Amino acid sequence: MSVDTAWRASLEEAWHRPRTFYGYLTAVQHRSLGARFVATGLVFFLLAGIAAILMRIQLAVPEAQFLDAELYNQIFTMHGTTMMFLFAVPIAQGIGIYIVPMMIGARDMAFPRLNAFGYWVYFLGGTALWVSLFFGQAPNSGWFNYPTLGTARYQAGMNIDVYALTISMVEIAAIVAAIELVVTVLKLRAPGMSLNRMPLFVWAQLVMGVMILAAMPTVLVATLLLELDNMIGTHFYSPGGGGDPLLWQHLFWFFGHPEVYIILLPGLGIVAAVVATFTRHDIVGYPYVAAAFVAIGMLSFAVWVHHMFATGRATTGMGLFSVATFAVVIPSGVQMFATLATMAYGRLRMSVPMLYVLGFVFVFILGGLTGVNVASIPFDLQVHDTYFVVAHFHYVLLGGMLFPLFAGLYYWFPKFTGRMLDDRLGKLSFWVIFVGMNVTFFPMHLLGLWAMPRRVYTYLPGLGWDRLNLLATIGAGIFALGVATYLFNAVRSVLNGPPAPADPWGAGTLEWSIASPPPVYGFARTPVVDDRNPLWRPRTDVLADAAHDLDDPRLETSFDRRETMATSLIDAVPQFRAVQQTSTIVPFLAALAVAFTFLSALIEPLLILVGLVLVAFALFVWFKPDPQEWDRDWLRAGPEGSLPTSFEAARHGYRSTTWAGGLVTVLVSASVFVTLIVSYLYLRVGHDVWPIDPVEPRALAGPLLASLPLIASVVPLGLARRAIARDDHRTAGLGLLAAGALALLFGVLKVVEYVQLDQDPRANVSASLDWTLTGFHLLYVLAFVVAAVVVGIYTLRGLFHGDRPDGVTVTAMFGGFVALVWIPLFAVVYLGHALM
Amino acid sequence: MAAHRTSSERQQAWGARHAPLMSALVITSCQFDAPAHREVPDALQPRGTGAGIVLAEMWWHLVFGTAVFVGVMGLLLAIVWRQRNASPVEGLDEADITRGEARGVRWIWWGGIVMPVLVLTVIFGRSMVSLAALQSPEEPETVTIEVTGHRWWWEVRYPVEDIVTANELHIPAGEPVHLELHAQDVIHTFWVPQLHPKIDMLPGETNELWIQADQPGIYRGICAEFCGLQHARMQFQVVAMEPAGYREWVEDRQQPPPEPTTELALQGREVFMDHNCAQCHAIAGTSAVGQIGPDLSDLATRLTLAGGVYRNNPGNLGGWLVDPQAMKPGALMPATPLDGEELQALLAYLGTLE
Repeated sequence: MSVDTAWRASLEEAWHRPRTFYGYLTAVQHRSLGARFVATGLVFFLLAGIAAILMRIQLAVPEAQFLDAELYNQIFTMHGTTMMFLFAVPIAQGIGIYIVPMMIGARDMAFPRLNAFGYWVYFLGGTALWVSLFFGQAPNSGWFNYPTLGTARYQAGMNIDVYALTISMVEIAAIVAAIELVVTVLKLRAPGMSLNRMPLFVWAQLVMGVMILAAMPTVLVATLLLELDNMIGTHFYSPGGGGDPLLWQHLFWFFGHPEVYIILLPGLGIVAAVVATFTRHDIVGYPYVAAAFVAIGMLSFAVWVHHMFATGRATTGMGLFSVATFAVVIPSGVQMFATLATMAYGRLRMSVPMLYVLGFVFVFILGGLTGVNVASIPFDLQVHDTYFVVAHFHYVLLGGMLFPLFAGLYYWFPKFTGRMLDDRLGKLSFWVIFVGMNVTFFPMHLLGLWAMPRRVYTYLPGLGWDRLNLLATIGAGIFALGVATYLFNAVRSVLNGPPAPADPWGAGTLEWSIASPPPVYGFARTPVVDDRNPLWRPRTDVLADAAHDLDDPRLETSFDRRETMATSLIDAVPQFRAVQQTSTIVPFLAALAVAFTFLSALIEPLLILVGLVLVAFALFVWFKPDPQEWDRDWLRAGPEGSLPTSFEAARHGYRSTTWAGGLVTVLVSASVFVTLIVSYLYLRVGHDVWPIDPVEPRALAGPLLASLPLIASVVPLGLARRAIARDDHRTAGLGLLAAGALALLFGVLKVVEYVQLDQDPRANVSASLDWTLTGFHLLYVLAFVVAAVVVGIYTLRGLFHGDRPDGVTVTAMFGGFVALVWIPLFAVVYLGHALM
Repeated sequence: MAAHRTSSERQQAWGARHAPLMSALVITSCQFDAPAHREVPDALQPRGTGAGIVLAEMWWHLVFGTAVFVGVMGLLLAIVWRQRNASPVEGLDEADITRGEARGVRWIWWGGIVMPVLVLTVIFGRSMVSLAALQSPEEPETVTIEVTGHRWWWEVRYPVEDIVTANELHIPAGEPVHLELHAQDVIHTFWVPQLHPKIDMLPGETNELWIQADQPGIYRGICAEFCGLQHARMQFQVVAMEPAGYREWVEDRQQPPPEPTTELALQGREVFMDHNCAQCHAIAGTSAVGQIGPDLSDLATRLTLAGGVYRNNPGNLGGWLVDPQAMKPGALMPATPLDGEELQALLAYLGTLE
């Protein structure tokens, strides 16, 4: 079959998004959302940049009166928080959401609705954060928000609540996008694109996604505990009640340092893409570079204590963290020398993206060298919390993230917009940014060595800091001009740039095989890949849009509805056709419900309960199947001889994308519970006597007995899973309902137990921990009960069946997790006193 | 860089009242003029053992770092220069790419793995040497001082000598001093850049540190951890004295301040007691025993006011009493409504606290 006009028209219709306001709210397609992530991220970048300029004006001269102390503190907090949470991560994910599916030959991502939901939660959370600034209630204790300063006790306003709640929303959005990216990369690659043929940019996005999934739950727990301290009066971080402010630092940096590499990795991925294209040479040492990405990701979880060298704890143990920090240099060096070697052996073209890559080499190496400085404990103890560190991480992040980002945006701009940028303006912007950046941040090394502390709203004259501060302020002005030039170039080209061909740079990866800008459906046919740069060494049949003759019917997908090919994890062997969701308002509404839940807590904590009902309702609508999905023929429809659909994947022995998404969600939840348990143990070992008086050790027999129904619920869950596999939807539905009833019984017994216990979570940290661990688990039990009832009823009515088992299998997976995670929780809550 | 403040008549007059303290310091007239700003707090100009240990290590970093940076940048320039006329595809075939791959992997091994491992081994080893040297002083510590960080000032106690003061540590030069560090409210960090690397002060915990000034002098201390509104104005002075002078200072400080002798000062004491000052401040030998703000028993001898940021002279002190928020917005000291007469009396009384 050839790619004819009717086919394209049909695809157009299936992937159509109305260009109306309502259409905007309902879009779920990856390019719509990727572009939105990028645009929103850039707006936050500009806001945070304005904050930086305000700071530099205030610091231009000693004792300036431009900003007062409180406003300065809010501004510097907003600068850091925005750059880290609202700009760097979302924009890196946004580029991934836009480019990755096209790079791997997919038409959309694994969970389009989830994608839209993540965007809206991010948008609402970020907007709420910035709105707070105009009420003078913005966070004011740094993006790191150390307790005890960063608790309600030491702040007059709601600054800390704003921080904890909006940041939690943005973290949820990042986790959602990471689930999306990871599952997409692992399951939706074009046939033939085995892991070792995946572009390095996709490797970087994959590692970044996994890192976010591992790191973000930790800071979610940290902010949850912070909010409980603030709103209820628990004692996790208050030394007076047996808590420990350093618990926050551990949790925060266990997330916070990986966060830095989360930001860096997509940058390194962009560098790889740009260098390969503009040298017309495959990146030298591909397996080394991919392994370096993975190594950076793993090492990043072993270095968090290097932010805490000055806390005065266990100096010798800190040596290990120092070694791990030094070790990061090695994978970074591998990546750097692979880049240099590729430039040396390829045919280097000095385009604008390449200039930014050269800037990356210069700036990132300088930042890396000062990173070696501060990895040394004695050196760090002198310069920690001074402008030296400010200089260091701006070199690392601007070099490792901003320069590659500007390279990437320039590189993919023709693909995004269908227009070319102006080369001369591009070069000008690079040189101005490069000079401005160095004039701003280089002097800060010296300022730090001359002992200027960070986070000061002003400084005394006569300490030797005046001139370099003025110089840094001038540099910031130059830097801003460069960014303005870059944006001017972009705006000018969007309005009036020369049209871009499909592949303006002669690049080798799949996204350049389709038109610029791409048609709504992306690839008209599923591409097949047998090389890392398929466009450079084309098989006759590899180009998706070429009139090729690819007779294998197993590569066909429907063209009258949204489908993309799912392949196996490692070798990318075609498995099934993933049927994709279409435009819907539900993700937007669900995001509103989530935003209501978080933000209402600022006004009245009890409104959270209303919010939870709204969220439950949104989920109910979310999972309510489309009427056409009642039709088994619709579920199976497809071209003659094509592979099964995602609905039937399980029946053919494949794991569906839904199953994979469920698994990743369970793993993220597991990480949340592990963090809670580790927090318990951390606080526990800080005390010789536990529980802290007047809290009593917990009775064991009753609770043990009460746990039986929950553990027993795995039996009907197992029965339900087996039943659905053999198409027995009645048994499956009853199994889910039975498991839901057992879990509900457990929940009721727990509530009775805690009512009888008559113990105040505010008594001290022992009580706070018991209540929080049990209570958080109880929320999971409740969520499972709701899910089991809803899915159980749908299953009884025949909506989930052998051709469509995912609803039952994923609910059963979730229920099994809720039951089994109770075992370690039970052990710490009821036996924690016997430890030590 | 070392921009010393110029002197003024008034400061000299005030300095003259510090005569006993000043004679204990081996100082020049220049330093005498500008007590609060004797040296800039430059970590590259160490005046103490710990800061010296770190500076010695910094040189190693500078030498190796510069070598690596110059080397890689040279390589980058050479590549760009050689490729200046390269055409995108011409003359590059699959065989070239295969050859580039084989040669490039050697770059990765030598540049990305072997070189970093060698350099880092040296640097890490050197850092462990400095770390060991920082652990404890060579001689036993002669003095113990407890310092507690408050928002935004420093409480200083000598438990053995039974001395309480604020925002100023007096130590014997050439002798290691033991510090026990606490925080009253939020996390602060104790740092005297010229003397020793920093350490956090944590609420509910005690951290320990030793410092040693090699020579007499006045060194600026800085709170390095962000601690809220007036983090920028939380500093202190370390006054390192000749050991004999230090012992004299201790004896001097162990005496409560003398009874006021002038009428004005006696009036001032009443003003002090009547205006709730005593709710927060303590003065040895009087009924003022407040613990919230700094102890004032030796206020007149201190070099600075308001957490190490204003020179202690009558003008600044008067301004501070009447409107502390103007000098340090957010400071926890409320303004005291005083008429001109009361202010003069209070200043006279506070001037006797030595």
